[in-house]
Amino acid sequence: MRISIRGEDFILDPSGALFWEAQGALMLADIHLGKITHFRKHGIAVPRAPITDFYVRIEKLIQKYPFQQLYFLGDLFHSNLNSEWDTFVSWSQKQAFEMTLIAGNHDILPAQAYQKTPLHVVENLVLGEFILTHHPEEHTPFNLCGHIHPGIMLRGPGRQGLKLSCFFQRPNQLILPAFGAFTGLHLLTKSVDDKVYILGEKEVFAYPNEP
Amino acid sequence: MSVSQQKPSVESWFKHKGWKPAAFQRQTWKAYQEGQSGLVNAPTGSGKTYALWGAIVQESLAVEAKPKGLQAIWITPLRALAVEIQQTTHKMTQELLPEMEVQKRTGDSTAKEKAAFKSKLPFGLVTTPESLHLLLSHKKNEDYFKNLQCIVVDEWHELMGSKRGVQVELALAYLCALFPKLRVWGISATLGNLELAQQILLQPTGQKGICIRANTLKKIRVQSLIPQTMETFPWRGHLGLHLLPEVLKQINKNRSTLVFTNTRAQCEIWYQKILEAAPQLAGEIAMHHGSMEKKVRLWVENQLREDKLKLVVCTSSLDLGVDFSPVESCIQIGSPKGVGRFLQRAGRSGHRPGATSTIHFVPTHAMELIEALALQKAIDHQAIEDRQPYLLSFDVLIQFLMTLAVGNGFHPKELFTIIQRSFCFQEMRKEEWQWCLNFIRYGSQSLEHYDEYKKVEVTPEGKYQVLNKGIAMRHRMSMGTIVGGADLKIKYLKGGYLGSIEEWFISKLQPGDTFTFSGRILELVRIQNMEVLVRKSKAKKAKVPSWMGGRMSFSAHLSQMLRETLYDIEQNDSPERKALEGVLQQQKKQSIIPQPEEFLIESFSSREGHHAIFYPFEGRAVHEAMASIVAYRLGLLEPQSFSLAFNDYGFELLSDRPVDIQGLLDNDLLNPQDIFEDLRQSFNVSEMARRKFRDIAVIGGLVFQGFPNKPIKTKHLQSGTQLFYEVFKDYEPDNLLYLQALTETYEHGMEEGRLQQAFERIEKQELCWLQTNHPTPFSFPIITDRLRGKLSSEKVEDRIKRMLQQLNKATQI
Repeated sequence: MRISIRGEDFILDPSGALFWEAQGALMLADIHLGKITHFRKHGIAVPRAPITDFYVRIEKLIQKYPFQQLYFLGDLFHSNLNSEWDTFVSWSQKQAFEMTLIAGNHDILPAQAYQKTPLHVVENLVLGEFILTHHPEEHTPFNLCGHIHPGIMLRGPGRQGLKLSCFFQRPNQLILPAFGAFTGLHLLTKSVDDKVYILGEKEVFAYPNEP
Repeated sequence: MSVSQQKPSVESWFKHKGWKPAAFQRQTWKAYQEGQSGLVNAPTGSGKTYALWGAIVQESLAVEAKPKGLQAIWITPLRALAVEIQQTTHKMTQELLPEMEVQKRTGDSTAKEKAAFKSKLPFGLVTTPESLHLLLSHKKNEDYFKNLQCIVVDEWHELMGSKRGVQVELALAYLCALFPKLRVWGISATLGNLELAQQILLQPTGQKGICIRANTLKKIRVQSLIPQTMETFPWRGHLGLHLLPEVLKQINKNRSTLVFTNTRAQCEIWYQKILEAAPQLAGEIAMHHGSMEKKVRLWVENQLREDKLKLVVCTSSLDLGVDFSPVESCIQIGSPKGVGRFLQRAGRSGHRPGATSTIHFVPTHAMELIEALALQKAIDHQAIEDRQPYLLSFDVLIQFLMTLAVGNGFHPKELFTIIQRSFCFQEMRKEEWQWCLNFIRYGSQSLEHYDEYKKVEVTPEGKYQVLNKGIAMRHRMSMGTIVGGADLKIKYLKGGYLGSIEEWFISKLQPGDTFTFSGRILELVRIQNMEVLVRKSKAKKAKVPSWMGGRMSFSAHLSQMLRETLYDIEQNDSPERKALEGVLQQQKKQSIIPQPEEFLIESFSSREGHHAIFYPFEGRAVHEAMASIVAYRLGLLEPQSFSLAFNDYGFELLSDRPVDIQGLLDNDLLNPQDIFEDLRQSFNVSEMARRKFRDIAVIGGLVFQGFPNKPIKTKHLQSGTQLFYEVFKDYEPDNLLYLQALTETYEHGMEEGRLQQAFERIEKQELCWLQTNHPTPFSFPIITDRLRGKLSSEKVEDRIKRMLQQLNKATQI
């Protein structure tokens, strides 16, 4: 789905990625790599299979969008160092595009860890009228961010309900959905000024706005 | 020779107190002395404690040498009960064996008490299943138990149908293997399957054992409270407050009354309303429910014992063994959902021997009047429910393996045969055992050597043991099988705990909002560190918290009685029937009152959508499963989304498009073929299993709830059980814990045996489909139920599209 914010065109991908064609930039939030191994190291037996999920999905995005810049909007790695970081390092070294991490509250890896990758690590980043952060921020021209893992409850007649991941847009802010596989949802309530874009399996759907 | 030098005995102790041993007490003493194990079937208040403790003390009196070490362990389901049992048994012991002590050990025990236990072992120990397991995780546990003669399991009827029962089974299997002469005794109230209860408990001893029954049959009468004018009787509702005047009359007539409610919310509301209507009762009225702070509960129990209260409004928290002198009158608000529980509650009211006890029943809506008649019928037939034991609970087993690994460790080969001695795991296969071992050692079934999984290690001698201190600590902190939702403690700003409340209720409140709790009106100040900080409020209006628990289903017996009562309702001439007259007339005008050979289906449309209501009268659990099957089968005719509602009388399918009842009849969709296959296919099962999985994940050690007062250190380790469920479902569907959630859904969630029978019964009935313009009295309580299941056979994308279309339409008007 294509939307326009402050005169700029963005593509919302059903995977949860945001593509900004004019800048050749792809943005992903809250991947939480290493979470599964972190749990396993502490004796909690989460299945290992979804560890590779990220690489399968990013490969599809590389085929689909011609981007030169990849921005991680925070919480790239879940906690302390573990073997999943090595996997990420070797993947990152093979990529042709540039990568930037806007550090989130979970990104507590030591600086040396990042040095093995092409990642630029920053607190935030300004691109034209837009500021990229991890935590949603209030007083900025327009904020692209993550952290929340936004979800929405869609209600229909016959007392039906569906809980779905979404892009959540406020007047000065667009919150990206969590891209990671082993992450949860935080339900938000839409007010009149908000716009919500729901992730289907193959399509993104706009939530209707009040007249 | 003076009397004082005569050898003391339990008989003479009874005599000294002016009591006469009951026949069942004497029988128990004798059987115990002969070295038997067994089960005592006796209700609370009958002297069951002395039956067993007397036997244990008598045996020590009979030998010359002073008893050394721990002789007996008494397991009780509730910490609150442990206090009382410890006091009773300690007193008896001291009076007969002056130097001997009985201690208690529960989650509430202080470090000092624990140290005292280790330095000098007491004669007896009163404990809970969880605390006994903790003792098994001590490195010196064999020293504790080497003199042990007997383990008594109190309130076994309550434990056996729960996972804590499995915990007891495992501890017994382990200790009986270590000490083959150990005697095991249980105490249980009457159950439909008492023989099975005995078998499960005694299986680890290898003996059949003896069953001793206390003859305490009471005659019990059910009397419904019916208002003067019937016009006001509501069609639905769950509070029953319209009968407040009648309840007050009843309270005033008696010196002491217990009012039983089904949920904590109902309990809070009734307490408030009674106080508002009869302020003169202040000081003589109290409330008792499981979320209240322990101190307050203990105070209420003591006041009851000392006969100082005129009225206590309570939930099932007072069902169990808390001993107090019988009250004069009992009132039950709303359906008790089971005969056994109703009898237990009725038994709380006093009576002269041989006289009839009366329990007053307050129907919360018209349909419950039929239930009152069914209850009386069930009591007259002594149709008491069975308790269904858990089988192959791998979550509890994994927890137990960890418990042993945290202590001395275990050798898998030896332990396997021990575990198989328990009823729960007698049919465990070798592969399943290996799966559990792999799970705690490798965290998976495929061995990947680059994996960093760490939990249990294997020592060079081949012993499974936990060597990492952090893992051991986390396990000890999170042991136990009672799982609540995420509970937050309620605390005054100035300090002082009031109790606990479920997070989902509090999360709906904003600071400044008021709610009632424990009879007080409180203002929410803020939430921090798993604590809800509040201050007293003078507000008049406040929200009443509701708790998710307490939604129970009719038992098979009660369902059958209900159907029989309904079929004959027109011939009945009871006051309940007269009170129902208007409702029954209305039902007949719009629809029918089904007869034994008829199965009723009603349908109508409303602003909410298209409703179809089915009436099997089988209890809510069976209805939930039936609703899923029928919705699934209808979805095969044409993809459709349903919202499902159910109560003990029937179930409803609600949809945004008409429900194809004609198609259902033409295609014979209520047939009993392949019901379990269809159930598996239906999405709703996975929703139900998701709920079961919550407990399994916590018990099996997948979810760590954090150290008390140390939220920081574990922050990257916390995760919802929902997320785990999704990951298992998508990536490891053969995981035994995931499969267990499904099995529990079938066996405990919806009682698959009954489901089959219900479908077979319906197959013989004639289907009567009535289209009405408005909801009927029978349908009203169902369609207004807000807690609903969902079932859809449409693709997610299609559902999103259609729901958004509807929203678009709505916004264009």
